[in-house]
Amino acid sequence: MEKAKISASQLFILMVLFELGSALLVPLAMGAKQDAWLAILLGMGCSFVLLLVYYRLYSYYPDLLPTEYVQNILGKVMGTVLAFVYLLYFMYDAARVLRDFGEMLLTFAYPDTPLFIANALLMLVIIYTVRKGIEVIARSGELFFIFMYVLAVTGFILIVSSGLIDVTKLQPVLEEGMLPVLKVVFTQTMYFPFAEAIVFTMILPYLNNPEKAKVTMLCATGLSGINLVITMLINISVLGVNLTARSQFPLLSTVQSIQVADFLERLDVFFMLALIICGFFKVSVLFYAAVIGTANLFKIKSPSRLAYPMGLIILFLSVTIASNFQEHLHEGLKIAPVVLNIPLYAIIPPLLLLVAFLKNRKKQRG
Amino acid sequence: MKRKGAFLLLMMMVTVLLSSCWSKKELTDLAFVSAMGVDKTKGGSYHLTLQIINPGNVAGGIQGGGGAQSPPVTIYSASGDNIVEASRRASSRISRRLYYAHANLIVIGERMAREDGVNPLMDALDRDPEFRNTSTMVIANHSTAADLVKALTPVDKIPANKVMKTLEFTQRKWGETVKVSLQDVMNGLQSPGGEAVVSGFRLVGNPQKAQKLDNLQESAPAATLRASGLAVLRKGKLIDWLYGGTARGTVWILDEIQGTDINIDWDGKKEAIAYQTVRQKTSVSAQVKNGQPHISVHARVEGDIGEMEVPVDITNPKVITKIEQALRKEIKKELQKAVEHAQKDKADIFGFGEVVHRTRSNQWKKLEPEWSNLYFPKLNVDITVEAYVRRAGLRNKSFLSGIKENQK
Repeated sequence: MEKAKISASQLFILMVLFELGSALLVPLAMGAKQDAWLAILLGMGCSFVLLLVYYRLYSYYPDLLPTEYVQNILGKVMGTVLAFVYLLYFMYDAARVLRDFGEMLLTFAYPDTPLFIANALLMLVIIYTVRKGIEVIARSGELFFIFMYVLAVTGFILIVSSGLIDVTKLQPVLEEGMLPVLKVVFTQTMYFPFAEAIVFTMILPYLNNPEKAKVTMLCATGLSGINLVITMLINISVLGVNLTARSQFPLLSTVQSIQVADFLERLDVFFMLALIICGFFKVSVLFYAAVIGTANLFKIKSPSRLAYPMGLIILFLSVTIASNFQEHLHEGLKIAPVVLNIPLYAIIPPLLLLVAFLKNRKKQRG
Repeated sequence: MKRKGAFLLLMMMVTVLLSSCWSKKELTDLAFVSAMGVDKTKGGSYHLTLQIINPGNVAGGIQGGGGAQSPPVTIYSASGDNIVEASRRASSRISRRLYYAHANLIVIGERMAREDGVNPLMDALDRDPEFRNTSTMVIANHSTAADLVKALTPVDKIPANKVMKTLEFTQRKWGETVKVSLQDVMNGLQSPGGEAVVSGFRLVGNPQKAQKLDNLQESAPAATLRASGLAVLRKGKLIDWLYGGTARGTVWILDEIQGTDINIDWDGKKEAIAYQTVRQKTSVSAQVKNGQPHISVHARVEGDIGEMEVPVDITNPKVITKIEQALRKEIKKELQKAVEHAQKDKADIFGFGEVVHRTRSNQWKKLEPEWSNLYFPKLNVDITVEAYVRRAGLRNKSFLSGIKENQK
């Protein structure tokens, strides 16, 4: 662990940016068609339960990184293996988000640029930031958070004032009943992007005010959840269900349809900025967690020395992870939730909590 | 100090890199496509006609003194088995890179729209990151898209702009056309019956003449472009043209009308009072009773009196009420005509099916398979109109009333 402290508000900002991350850009929860907003909202609600599990684990060991306390809970060998699995997962996830980011840039703005170059340029900045430590990430977060919201509010006003919103496109509500919505909730929205915040267990020990951790986590998830709901509502009411589902990046299509007073149009740059800010913070946080965890697990004194080698691994991983964008999305939306997200987010942490609970009770009695 | 110098040098090098010239597109290397026409050749391949802006001649001004003048746009065309192939093949004829980000107009030839429909070419336009979904689409009425795209226009030098502005202002003042974007058309074509309306445009006069600058040097050009008709698409194919009152009624029910003029008879004189609408709102609702769908259309209009060709004493509120009643009848007749016409065509261009789907989604499942063939053509459509006269211009009684009183 490096010697650093972040405040509750910085944690809040990082979490919001993290959860908005790539979820803002992709057609989230489109399995539920026009009820996508409901699926996101319910997913957010369900993820609160998981967040509370993560919080309880943290409150048993407020000064330790998860990589350390799993060893306390499960014993040296099992704990080390499990911690290693989580570290690999954080790196894989960072590579995924980086790939998402690169693919989006290439698809709509730089068709002639190789993916490696686009990813490398972002990764260089991220490596630099992560070397500087969590305090720097958190402070830059504060700056960009304000910027993001200025963009979002301006975009919202422009969309409303160009008269694009047609709420009837959201009807009929619950056409097929609750079942498709619940299916999406439990296979997608609960984990991506909300429970993905499990990576913040690696950052919670840096919090200067541990008693605020719970409120901060829940509020941040709530705010990002509501923002995602609003975004999806707007996407669907502007584009309609079909076009939203068909779009690789619905938000881009929505922003492109803005036409105010014949001259405020083609505001693709809004989308581009949001994309880069969110991509940057999501990769940074995941990458930082991987770096700090590795340093902790393998007892390396200065974590920042790991930034370059691990950054390169993530960079190469992001390029080789899939041979095309469709394959990448398929892995992310169909395979990863079952193989990775459900066990790592929803099964292992509650079991850990159970063991920790039993252990601590024994300790108190003894 | 040395370290600082090295850092400064590095920063300066980075700025060079950051200007990112990888996918650069120099302005002088771009050919701005302002409009694209799509036709079908006899062999069954696509024929693309691209209207490319001649930047110098748009800014320079045709009225500018003397010398050999060239037109504000240049036309290139190419054929191919699909849109992308045709567009790429066109580059063998153009010295610059085709740039579609400013292509605001898509023209589809009537033959192609009738025989093949617009569905096959949508994906190319929808998928391409350069092309905008907000581009306007029109169908060439009684001509090929090529002829329409090639025509030069006065006043607005770029013909694509002339077409779009015509549609926009006609929709605002006359209401028989509607400016639809690719996105709107796609939304319509994806509905269960695949119906949509697209405005038609027609080249009046000789197509050969329309391409010449000489045509523009006349005060009344021999060949001009004109908004004409409303194309009805079903399953992506053009099946009918709507004109006049039917077209206006259709636009009205679609709630796309932004202003028009309604005439009513008075004192035995035909079309004696002109009423200019200012504000209108149409709402459609659906009921299903005993498995039979009912649609109610409610239109509300506010407007002013624009002209009276007979002496009418509008200082009397009762007269205004009578005028309003006559207006209601007149408007209702037009809307009814539009509905009947659509029912004859079996094309639910108003999206009534969507309204039933939205508000009565349970019953919709039963109605859906037979909607276009059985339910829609026999649909019971209840039309109610509210019309209000709010103002009457600068005068109350007509000039004619004065004549009538003084010359008794």
